[in-house]
Amino acid sequence: MRKDGRPDHIEDALMVMHNNQWFTWTDSKNKIYANLRLTEKIGLNGNLVDNPVTELPTESAVNAKLKELQDAWDAANGG
Amino acid sequence: MSKTTIPTAGLADDAVDLTSKVTGTLPTANGGTGATSFTAGITEIDHFRLSSGFTGDAAPIASNLERIDTSGLFEKTGTGMSESSGVFTFPSTGKYRIDFIVRQQISGSGQYNEGSIYYTTDNSSYNLASGSSQFISQVNSTTTQAGHMNTTIFDVTNVSTHKVRFHVEVQDNSTSTVGSTSETFTAMVFLRLGDT
Repeated sequence: MRKDGRPDHIEDALMVMHNNQWFTWTDSKNKIYANLRLTEKIGLNGNLVDNPVTELPTESAVNAKLKELQDAWDAANGG
Repeated sequence: MSKTTIPTAGLADDAVDLTSKVTGTLPTANGGTGATSFTAGITEIDHFRLSSGFTGDAAPIASNLERIDTSGLFEKTGTGMSESSGVFTFPSTGKYRIDFIVRQQISGSGQYNEGSIYYTTDNSSYNLASGSSQFISQVNSTTTQAGHMNTTIFDVTNVSTHKVRFHVEVQDNSTSTVGSTSETFTAMVFLRLGDT
């Protein structure tokens, strides 16, 4: 995300697709869709529980969500 | 007649043995009380950060944690902490200062956005050590960000049982906690201050 709040990375889309830490990266220095993975566990109410998200979104769905966020930001901010 | 000075050339290289030939109190300037012994300084320094952001709660933060590896910024001192599924294990016993810095953001307002340090002394049941909270009040149509921090001192008497983890809980589930693998926004600092 840019400093002004405009989403500019697929991680911005992933963060709003589900709550909590449902995703991770095989290479945190190279956050591309091919390196996207589900986490096994999430922290919930003080416990580690199975990640309720069991399937990765498709790359097109992630890109579509990012565009949706960008369009919404642009509409609100004259971007 | 006593001598008040001895020329350097008059001393053999090994004439003064600081391991056994020095007694008394080392004077301290400006009215100090003087020092009779010294202990090792800070022997453990470690610094982790959240490498990817998330939305809503994470209690505890269980993934996407990394030791800060930005070139030229940080290098751990000592053995360093070990982390697994968000649980941090100490490298040695001692009194540790632990800081938890949290940066959060929301498109809107949030009544409370919390960051907490939890500790265990039995490697099982966790209790709150310290917590901080902030509200975020929307200032314009874009995302509003805020940060907060809390600190605790943990007397780690047994590294197998004494551990910590970190929680984030928010009032509005659209609030996100900011993470990055190139910059540090949400982070943990561990300093070993001395012996237990």
